Amino acid sequence: MTAYAELQITSNYSFLRGASHPEELMVTAAALGLRAVAITDRNSVSGLVRAHLAAKRAGVRLIIGCRLEISDGPDLLCYPTDRAAYGRLTRLLTTGKRRAPKGECHLSMADIIEFSSDSQVVAMVPPETPDTAFIEALHKLVCKFNSDSYLAVSIPYLGDDRERLSALSVIAATAGARLLATNDVHAHTPARRPLQDVLSCIREGCTLDQAGHRLFANAERHLKPPEEMARLFDDYPEAIANSLRIAEACRFSLDELRYEYPVDPVPDGSTPQLELARLTEVGAAARYPDGVPAKVSRQIEHELALIGELGFAPYFLTVHDIVRFAEQRGILCQGRGSAANSAVCYCLRVTAVDPTRIDLLFERFVSAERGEPPDIDVDFENGRREEVIQYVYEKYGRERAGMTATVISFRTKSAVREVGKAMGVSEDTIVALQAAAWRRDWAEVEDQHLTEAGLDPNQPTLRRLMILAGELRGFPRHLSQHTGGMVMTRSRLDEVVPIANAAMDGRTVIEWDKDDLDALGILKVDILALGMLTCIHQTFDLIGTHHHRALTLATVPAEDAAVYEMLSAADSVGVFQVESRAQMSMLPRLRPREFYDLVIQVAIVRPGPIQGDMVHPYLRRRDGREAVNFPSEALRQVLGKTLGIPLFQEQAMKIAIVGAGFSPEEADALRRALATFRRFGDIHKFEQRFIDGMLANGYARDFAERCFRQIEGFADYGFPESHAASFALLVYVSAWLKRHYPAAFACSLLNCQPMGFYAPAQIIRDLADHGIVVRPVDINISTWDCTLEETALRLGFRQIKGMRQVDAEALVAERGDGFGSIIDLWRRTGLGRGHLDRLARADAFGSLDLDRRAALWAIRGLDDAPLPLFAALESNLEPEVKLPEMSLGEHVANDYRALALSLKAHPLALLRDHLAAEGYGVCGSLAEIADGKLVKLAGLVTARQRPGSAKGVMFITMEDETAVANLIVWPKVFEDFRRQVLSASLLGVEGRVQKEGRVIHVICQRLSNLTAMLATLGPEDTAAPRTSRSLRLFSRDFH
Amino acid sequence: MVAAERGGVRVISVNRSAESAGVTPGLTLAAAGALCANLITAEADPEGDRRALAALADWCGRYTPWTALDESGGLWLEITGCGHLFGGEAELLADLGRRLDGFGYAHVAAVAETPGAAWATARYARPVADATLAPLPVAALRLPPATVEGLQRLGLRCIGDLIRLPRAPLSARFGPHLLKRLDQALGRCPEIIDPRRPTPAFRTRLAFAEPLIHRGGIEAALKQALDCLCRQMAAAEQGVRRLSFTLYRGDGSISEVAIGTSRPNRQPAHLARLFFEKLERLDPGFGVDVAILAAIVVDPLAPIQSDLASGGETQIAIDHLLDRLGNRLGPSRVLRLTSRASHLPERAHHAVSALDAPPQQHDNATTHAPRTPRPLRLLATPELIEVVAPVPDHPPALFRWRRHQHRVARAEGPERIGTEWWHNDPAELASPDQARARDYYRIEDTDGGRFWVFRNGPYRPDRPPRWYLHGFFS
Repeated sequence: MTAYAELQITSNYSFLRGASHPEELMVTAAALGLRAVAITDRNSVSGLVRAHLAAKRAGVRLIIGCRLEISDGPDLLCYPTDRAAYGRLTRLLTTGKRRAPKGECHLSMADIIEFSSDSQVVAMVPPETPDTAFIEALHKLVCKFNSDSYLAVSIPYLGDDRERLSALSVIAATAGARLLATNDVHAHTPARRPLQDVLSCIREGCTLDQAGHRLFANAERHLKPPEEMARLFDDYPEAIANSLRIAEACRFSLDELRYEYPVDPVPDGSTPQLELARLTEVGAAARYPDGVPAKVSRQIEHELALIGELGFAPYFLTVHDIVRFAEQRGILCQGRGSAANSAVCYCLRVTAVDPTRIDLLFERFVSAERGEPPDIDVDFENGRREEVIQYVYEKYGRERAGMTATVISFRTKSAVREVGKAMGVSEDTIVALQAAAWRRDWAEVEDQHLTEAGLDPNQPTLRRLMILAGELRGFPRHLSQHTGGMVMTRSRLDEVVPIANAAMDGRTVIEWDKDDLDALGILKVDILALGMLTCIHQTFDLIGTHHHRALTLATVPAEDAAVYEMLSAADSVGVFQVESRAQMSMLPRLRPREFYDLVIQVAIVRPGPIQGDMVHPYLRRRDGREAVNFPSEALRQVLGKTLGIPLFQEQAMKIAIVGAGFSPEEADALRRALATFRRFGDIHKFEQRFIDGMLANGYARDFAERCFRQIEGFADYGFPESHAASFALLVYVSAWLKRHYPAAFACSLLNCQPMGFYAPAQIIRDLADHGIVVRPVDINISTWDCTLEETALRLGFRQIKGMRQVDAEALVAERGDGFGSIIDLWRRTGLGRGHLDRLARADAFGSLDLDRRAALWAIRGLDDAPLPLFAALESNLEPEVKLPEMSLGEHVANDYRALALSLKAHPLALLRDHLAAEGYGVCGSLAEIADGKLVKLAGLVTARQRPGSAKGVMFITMEDETAVANLIVWPKVFEDFRRQVLSASLLGVEGRVQKEGRVIHVICQRLSNLTAMLATLGPEDTAAPRTSRSLRLFSRDFH
Repeated sequence: MVAAERGGVRVISVNRSAESAGVTPGLTLAAAGALCANLITAEADPEGDRRALAALADWCGRYTPWTALDESGGLWLEITGCGHLFGGEAELLADLGRRLDGFGYAHVAAVAETPGAAWATARYARPVADATLAPLPVAALRLPPATVEGLQRLGLRCIGDLIRLPRAPLSARFGPHLLKRLDQALGRCPEIIDPRRPTPAFRTRLAFAEPLIHRGGIEAALKQALDCLCRQMAAAEQGVRRLSFTLYRGDGSISEVAIGTSRPNRQPAHLARLFFEKLERLDPGFGVDVAILAAIVVDPLAPIQSDLASGGETQIAIDHLLDRLGNRLGPSRVLRLTSRASHLPERAHHAVSALDAPPQQHDNATTHAPRTPRPLRLLATPELIEVVAPVPDHPPALFRWRRHQHRVARAEGPERIGTEWWHNDPAELASPDQARARDYYRIEDTDGGRFWVFRNGPYRPDRPPRWYLHGFFS
């Protein structure tokens, strides 16, 4: 049998060039019986880990390689033969990438010559026209790499193949290079030619009809069977034989990458394990000044033993060091993840969740069998995370630390757009198709949906577009940076994987994403940003200043009944995680009473439990309306804490193991299959295996199916108990702050905007509902941030749209005892007229007794001319001008325009007579109206949500001057009133009241857009004709 | 109409049906699509709109010679003294309205004492025109948006609010322009509107003391004008591509002819010859007062160095022939072949008007242009031939075409060329497209004849291949 190894393959990780996934290539290579294959992506190894894993699964040997694009010479295929050679290749790539902007790699022939030749096999790719420059380069190559130099030749069916091949063989022989047969593979099958052409068009920014010679002439660049390759090269059998020679020589595999944790220096005579034990002991003494509880010290002992056994001590020391740095800098942080919720981490100050408050099993993180590193994510204040990241770079050096990459892939929307553009399809067809595919699985888009979108499903172009966009989905498009995953290594990281510049200054990124790292067992610490930590820090500071009370995450009084009471009443605007509409309607049902209830609260309103239909059974059992029983004794262990209902990701995985008989590796493979490799569809196999396993162990089919659906839900939005526990602490702390220091908490929330679910107007309204006075922005009182005045809140300049922080700070710096007049302010601050105008529009001249019109008139009158004219203005030599008086409605309307809120009145209060005349009631009356009654209400829309788990149901939150109302719009009604629902700022609703305990909803039957009514408050002051003249209000829309 | 702007494609303008569906200018296309599923959009073409408006302005010449474009998408017609021709200004307006309706243009028109008042009334007044401007919004004064916004903020919303205020503080705050516009609208100060004139690059105008009636006089005038124009162009190193000759007749009507050239040209004799073939279309009517020769399109043309080799002369002669044919038969009927980048041989060329400039070939770095030469002559349709060839992809040894047998002496290939699948049945996308690729061979027979033949689709044992002759090498 003929043997052949294909050593020149461009996968789709050469973005917009290769037309097949590495996985597809490996499966095909194995099926064709190729001896080995090399993926040679352009200046990149980013697809290699996937290829490596797929090659193992498919049973084909992968040769590690790369195609180097040389600025002053032909491209080179480079195949390292051993680990050291691979390290030099990645360093070469790092050099090329670090000197180039993001996404590029600049290498010259000189770099290649400098690049060590030991154990590298190199093949030159001849240019279109083999010119003298190419011949010279080949000679240079042979001088450098001697017998390891090859010339890659292929038979692409371009008419002159044989002539060209004989010419190239002469050139190679003269230079002393050997011939290497390749097929310059770009796809695993010729059927990918259409997609290949589309990719070329996307890359070149043209349509198929314009593309011309930018496309390949034919589909020959695909994987071919060894026999066919041998036939094509029948005159040059040595070229085929050489492919095997190289395959034989290049034995390096990614399995050889031995990852080593970086080890922080420990005192002489100590070891990382001893050092960790010492630090834990010191930390424990500080955490428990009255002595460490016996339970905790037992746990610490147990955990340390386990850590020692698995050799994870350096990892914990690394995390500890990062957290210590943050603490020194006064940056609030909080760890989460399976390993974070341990007694050791509590003592190391990685987390503030007291192990006495929650009973989490530490073993869970150490899936010793999997040999995977533990997982700790650390959240930092969002504004200051960069300091931590830069600390890590500085400590380990650019060559030992890097940010994890994220592969950005084509999604349905972008695939439709890009394929459509390449096919020359009109913009409206693209938009219509995107709309038809919106919120649908691509496979579920049927002809009927296309017809509804006004498209003809039988139109050939559309059919082609559908097929190709479907193929393009999931193709990698470019690399981006992970939100915060930092990789650190003991030896050089750039000898493991190339490091490139990120788009962001000062960041360097490796070429692999988190799945790649997991697969190779490489440690990463997620350094994440969390706005709520900033907010909590600021609230602590305010409380320190105004109430002289020092607080930290760990010292906020625990288990305060008043806090749980507040949360049970769904009074949670601004509280971390539990402030959303869905969470708010869950709170009164769940009625949290202790810390662990918050852990559940955080995890339960998630796609996993919702899709698995676990929420209602849990609530029934909690209320005692349903008996708590367990599907089996084995599952009692797993589900005990959650009343027999699986709510956390860990539980779902455990069910797969305990219930369905999966091995831990299989359970993990299942999770990964669902999360990452969904399109390669092993899912049905898993599903069958899971349900069969559950049935075999005597569980009901219904339960088994629900469990599997839940696992599917978790795959996308996994929320493990260990993360929920860390988040629950922040829920508790923020709720405690809201309960006891509402003004300080709201003040920080406003200063941290944009953040969370609510806009400033709702936060301020909520504050007012709690009896706190809110005072307007004023040039003589406000600062950039909102501030506290005794018990009242003073709005800051930051609330003014378009205001810049530097200008506000300049104003405050010049203020002294205050400004006596606008001219005084203008002269002393030097602020431009535009800035003054902005202040006037926000009505910030109250302390000068000027309303917005008077202030604007005065500002308009400011004259740049020399002083005498000031005198004229100031001495009122101008004739008296009487401007039309501004009505309250106009003021409110202008407040909304300039500040997105008004302290003067609620717009609906001003429209109330009008609304009442049309039969609209007030939202505040809902509490008294009986369940099932019809109501007619109007309100300003504050949020629209159409969560994926709700099957097309839209949730709308609206408010009037009396209260907030929660609306539910069923899909049928949504379709009928689509326009009103999507475009109304002021919405009129007729519907039925639905009450469930303290949760009140209005089920909408008819909706009307009353936005025009807002215009009666005050016309919008814009010159643009015929644009929407209404009040622009700020609804936060979530999809 | 939509246009791509920063941050996505946005709606620029809408018709009534779209407006009633809630689509307003400024929306993103996606948002508009969500509001109205069967929205039909077209790319906005501001330049095209401007041209169309300009054409309409010229057409309005029937009412008054004095027409002009307004920057906000309107037209000015200075009809002082023209109303009586139509039986009064109101009748003129009604006639204009009827005709615009006939064209299918939505329109609003108003007649007023001042341009400013007409502008304001047309845009802001209710259908029954009120004589007074006071209740109209300040925007009706043709003010910059910032000024309008500033006035509105102060509560000064209608023109009446402005009239009531003292002038000096207003001027201090909004500049003299505001008062000027106010005064112009109220007729307190005059406003001149420049009539719309074509602005040709080069232009010669001849006025005749005695009206011309005969063709001889017109020809003489044309020659004189051409000489003058060509001198102007020579000084500027320009040559004309499009040229119009307009006669203004005593009765106020015009008659016009235009010619085009394939390359920039400034030879009076050549241009005159092109005109002479069309001169009979010019009707001097009852006499021509004024004639204007205008170069509408010009391109750079360096002074010609007379060339010793005959090649240059030939090219010039061909250009002249093309110009004459093109002007006589119409530019779309005289064609030249030009190459087009396509792998498919029959699509690799196409015909364009010979009068158009030869298209620029742009080179691209990542090109997969054919490596082997293409035949000079291509059959319009490939012809089926009988072939003896070794399988699977060897060149023919023998073939028969039009009953002649050719024995192959030399061959090169195959060159495999895929079809342009995006013109084929979408069902083929799912199946390997291979089946339709052609394998081309360059072959030379024993008589020295050189052919380009192809096998349609790769060899398959279950089906005899079909071979075609597609072209001839010389």
